[in-house]
Amino acid sequence: MAERSELDRECDAFARYLGASVGDGYVREQYWAAHAAGAVELPSTTSFERAVVSLARSVPLLVRPLDAHARVFSNGGLLRRKLVLLLAILEVRAPHDEELDTPTGTSVPGMFLRMVWLGLVFGVLLACGMLLSLPIWLASRLGASR
Amino acid sequence: MKRVVVVGSGASGVHFAQTALERGAYVTLVDVGRTAPAPVLPDASFARFKREHDDPAGYFLGRKFEAVMFPGAKGEYYGFPPHKGFIFASLERFRARAQGFEPLSSFARGGLAEAWTGGAFPFHERELRDFPFDARELHASYGTVARRIGVSGTDDDLSRFTPVHEHLAPSLPLDAHSRSLLARYGRERERLNAGLGVWMGRTRAAVRSDERDGRHGCTNLGRCLWSCPREALYTPSITLRALLKHERFTYLDGRFATRIEADEANRVRRLHLVELATGRPETLEASSIVLAAGTLASGKLFLDSLRAHGGRAPVLEGLMDNRQVLVPYIHLPMLRQRYEPDSYQYHQLALGLEREDPRHYVHGLVTTLKTALIHPIVQSVPFDLKSALWIFRNAHAALGIVNVNFHDERRAECRLELESDGDGSRLLVRYEPAREEPERMRSALGTVRKALWKLGCIVPPGMAHVRPMGASVHYAGTVPMSAQARPLATSPDGESHDLRGLFFADGSTFPFLPAKNLTFTLMANAERIARRWCDAQA
Repeated sequence: MAERSELDRECDAFARYLGASVGDGYVREQYWAAHAAGAVELPSTTSFERAVVSLARSVPLLVRPLDAHARVFSNGGLLRRKLVLLLAILEVRAPHDEELDTPTGTSVPGMFLRMVWLGLVFGVLLACGMLLSLPIWLASRLGASR
Repeated sequence: MKRVVVVGSGASGVHFAQTALERGAYVTLVDVGRTAPAPVLPDASFARFKREHDDPAGYFLGRKFEAVMFPGAKGEYYGFPPHKGFIFASLERFRARAQGFEPLSSFARGGLAEAWTGGAFPFHERELRDFPFDARELHASYGTVARRIGVSGTDDDLSRFTPVHEHLAPSLPLDAHSRSLLARYGRERERLNAGLGVWMGRTRAAVRSDERDGRHGCTNLGRCLWSCPREALYTPSITLRALLKHERFTYLDGRFATRIEADEANRVRRLHLVELATGRPETLEASSIVLAAGTLASGKLFLDSLRAHGGRAPVLEGLMDNRQVLVPYIHLPMLRQRYEPDSYQYHQLALGLEREDPRHYVHGLVTTLKTALIHPIVQSVPFDLKSALWIFRNAHAALGIVNVNFHDERRAECRLELESDGDGSRLLVRYEPAREEPERMRSALGTVRKALWKLGCIVPPGMAHVRPMGASVHYAGTVPMSAQARPLATSPDGESHDLRGLFFADGSTFPFLPAKNLTFTLMANAERIARRWCDAQA
């Protein structure tokens, strides 16, 4: 399990990515408590998954492409588990529930156009995520073979 | 003096007990009796609860975050609230294993119906064809039970499938999504009825729409899924609490019934129990014992008793359960709307599908998505979470689910039997779906999809979820009522032909299971059996 300060930093980076406000001590506390309770990491968690999380924590800008990559190639992996955990904590806590779950006010055609756009963006993010993950994956394979 | 011992405090047990008490009997109710945690912030709406509760994550997700549905987890579209865990918690003394079935049992005060969604659907006369008594008798009991528990509903297009009974209170106000669906149905009614054989109407729900007998009416707190803190949604523990005030009622909780002892004339004499806290055996002298512990627990107690009495345990054939398929849909006119947390959360509408054989009627409960946790759904959108959240927040109010229920019939290959397990016995539950089930489901789900399309909804491909057998917890049929006296069956009064003085008041005696939640009928049938038992004693 990561240090408390690292988990706080991770929690803030992931909360910002999900569109929630940052700095809620209760959310950080729960995020840490879930890790302490062993709810997040599985025995099958690999060094590659840990390295991906570490990169996402250090460079918040990369969370989205790494998440896109994980959605396709490692949906049950550590990064997705952490993001889903945080989403679960945020949705039961005011005011984050409102931040995450209020319609954005687009028109119906606008919404469908936006969904097409999101699909295209997802493709690009996925490609970026693969480029980012490849060296990490190779490094972890090399580390494992040694 | 009329005395009776009832085993189990679920929907059947408490209504048998209430009628027996009202008719002058002395009732002793034996129960494991696990209790629910006290309601928290009982007047707070769902939104206010999240603002005011000092540990909402502990409440909604559990102290060990056991209600978080992580990616890849096997489960439903919603998480089960952690504080309802007491309802399905297992009991070491009740041992069971299953093949082709995922059995659920409850040892809570109020039993399995503490977790029900309130669907109160009376059986139609044609669905009672195999029940060896006049349907009007049960119909009267529906009215009695409706008066006790509060059932809201409307006489509408669905009354052709779910008859109207006495004491039906007005339906609750509809949420905007359900209103939109019903308005669309009004415009498409002819095509849906004549073209597809689909009918739509208000659901019947065991929810008080008015204040009565110390129970509040529904005030739209939006916390139904999390246990209605005002008890507007009926659960059997409410009746049990009222029974506890009765001077002729004795409640023995913390006890597990192990077997019934009978004499050489096959007449019941006593009930053997174990006090769970100490492991101390106890006995209760009784000439009338009523099993109301649910089909599985009653079946095991019956089999253990027959084995102790006659040296061998037979096989109880005919286990039934409703197959359920969850069909998620998107109601397009509701896109971009704000979802309504302050409204009744369970099904407000229902679909009825006519089939060639009217007894094979298919029943669909329409539940619009409101206050269920969103993370299980958001993560299933095939995008990164940021994009998925954007799509979800604009689609939340448009999302719903149809829970499609199918009928079941007694078949020999679906059964309960005993097997040895160390010093005791274990229940073996076997279930095999009917051969024609895949075709039956394919045809009905095709009709549901077409009907939803006409109602302005799309069904995302590949999202329908076939629930495993056992998940609906509508178990029935293992000791059926029969007009002819024969072994492993009961009389129309629910009295066993094997052990005289032993009565079944739960679903064990149902000879047929239509595609409807059976809980309301369990209560009505238990009320009916209690009336007959009292008359016989008199």
